[in-house]
Amino acid sequence: MMYASEALRVLLANKVRSLLTVTGLIIGVGAVVAILVLGKSMGGAVNAALGGVADNSFVIFPNTTQRNTTMASIRLSDLAAIKASVPGIVDAQPLGFHSDLVRSGHQQARYGISPDGPIPFNTTPIEYGRRFTAADVATAARVCVISNAVYLRLFPNGGDPTGENLYAGARRYVIGGVLQPPHHGFINASFGSDISIPWTTYVQTYVRGSTVFAGRFIAANPAEIPSLELAVMNALRARHGQARGQQYQTFDKAQITQGINGIFNAMTMVVALIGAVSLVVAGIGVMNIMLVSVAERTREIGVRKAIGARASQILAQFFVESLLLCGSGCAIGLAVGLAIGQAVNQFAIVRLTGSITPIPWLSAVVVATGFAIVAALAFGTYPAYRASRLDPIEALRYE
Amino acid sequence: MSDAPVVALRGIVKVYSTGPLELEVLHGIDLTIERGEYVAIMGPSGSGKSTLMNLIGCLDRPTRGEYLLDGIDVSGLDDNALAEIRLHKLGFVFQGFNLLGRADALSNVALPLFYAGMAPGQRKARATAVLAELGLADRAGHKPSQLSGGQQQRVAIARALVNDPALLLADEPTGNLDSATSEELLQVFRNLNAVGRTVVMVTHDESVASHARRIVRLRDGYIVADAPR
Repeated sequence: MMYASEALRVLLANKVRSLLTVTGLIIGVGAVVAILVLGKSMGGAVNAALGGVADNSFVIFPNTTQRNTTMASIRLSDLAAIKASVPGIVDAQPLGFHSDLVRSGHQQARYGISPDGPIPFNTTPIEYGRRFTAADVATAARVCVISNAVYLRLFPNGGDPTGENLYAGARRYVIGGVLQPPHHGFINASFGSDISIPWTTYVQTYVRGSTVFAGRFIAANPAEIPSLELAVMNALRARHGQARGQQYQTFDKAQITQGINGIFNAMTMVVALIGAVSLVVAGIGVMNIMLVSVAERTREIGVRKAIGARASQILAQFFVESLLLCGSGCAIGLAVGLAIGQAVNQFAIVRLTGSITPIPWLSAVVVATGFAIVAALAFGTYPAYRASRLDPIEALRYE
Repeated sequence: MSDAPVVALRGIVKVYSTGPLELEVLHGIDLTIERGEYVAIMGPSGSGKSTLMNLIGCLDRPTRGEYLLDGIDVSGLDDNALAEIRLHKLGFVFQGFNLLGRADALSNVALPLFYAGMAPGQRKARATAVLAELGLADRAGHKPSQLSGGQQQRVAIARALVNDPALLLADEPTGNLDSATSEELLQVFRNLNAVGRTVVMVTHDESVASHARRIVRLRDGYIVADAPR
């Protein structure tokens, strides 16, 4: 295209000026793209950190700051009753944690043991063996599923460990399955426990009395979790005597993700605002330099008109020049933003959390292209229009 | 091509109004230029010759009167239509050459073809041919700054001729050239006229005008003399 190659020649003839003109665009687009990349990868890191947590589950535990925590404590009988009475709850299990010295063969280390069921709380995929079955829960089988970290520690020689014995203190479990490794990083992103056992086995072995630390509830439809949380808390209050006003806290994956995403969104809004401001400032710079360019080339415009260029052709020429100016600025900004975003991503997020998120190419390119088009339209049109309206006689006389 | 005169001016009046002041620069010009003529328009500054040239060149519209260019009434056309006429019917050669400094000779010559919407390949072929006609085939890739004044003006002539206009309009074409180069350039115009080009040249220089075959003299907005040389 002739307009583009001519515009390129003009911009290259004034390299320093062109570069200075688009600096604002480079900074604006660079900042927005960098935040886009970082926001995405931070979101990814949060997701990875919570990745193992099943999104169909929520946890309810008594608020520890209330006066009578004993009255609020969740009992095993509450769980069974709620499973039976609250529609939409597929299963209710106790949640707990027991630390013990764990040994297999000649290797031993201290690990946490937690309850789980056929619908796993930790959804990290299986590497060897299997998860729990309904029969495991029904018979309180002495079987366990171990995390990849436990497997690597206890079985340094590798191989499929299913069927091997694992001793926690004096108690023996048969290894039923091994989970795949979670993302690695400085922050241990694996949620859930090192060693899980069927929750019935856990209750039998580690729960003293009738109360549990917390209840884990599985929703038939994850979208209903917020309303189910309310329903379960109401059911608990009703069973424990509502007048006493027992307080409960909830935990679910969506809650945390939403909270963190809210922070990211606020941050993104702020950066978008900064981007918009820098776009306006940069655009005014583009407009200024384009007006200078039109003034400098008044005579050239006169010649072009004299040899038969229509006003629309002059307009197109200068508009393409603005577009190319804005486009190259935004392209550089895109590259700078991606580079900064990726650098921070690699040196901070990936190293700390082990989470690798793909670069949001599409949205980055869309942002940069959008910036370029908006800037060119808003700030390149008027100078181009002015060029197109020049009177050829006046323009030819211009020195 | 029609048999109509290339330029037919009838009672052309041009009034410039700046605020309340009205200044009549041309007071009813009648002028006919037939195909194949070589006319010099002469006159001292203030005689209205620049205004007349702008009107003939369709850069401006007359206040009153009728102008037929190559048989087409252009007196009442709008800006776009005038641009179209300039593109296809007129070729301008300016005193200061007015080539685009960033573009090479070939691109300069091809520019009107671009505005005419010709495909790039054809543009190049046509521009190359016209440059060759003017003896500049080996200078196609040179920027104006790498060419002598005479060569630059020949590139400008090539640009003026590339759309095969009905009229070649030159405004003081030798004004920026030394006398030897001027002679060469005027020879170019004579050769063009010899092969049938209609040429109108505006000048204040008698020796330049003497190359034309007809001289029209203006004074104070009137044609005071119009005679073959």
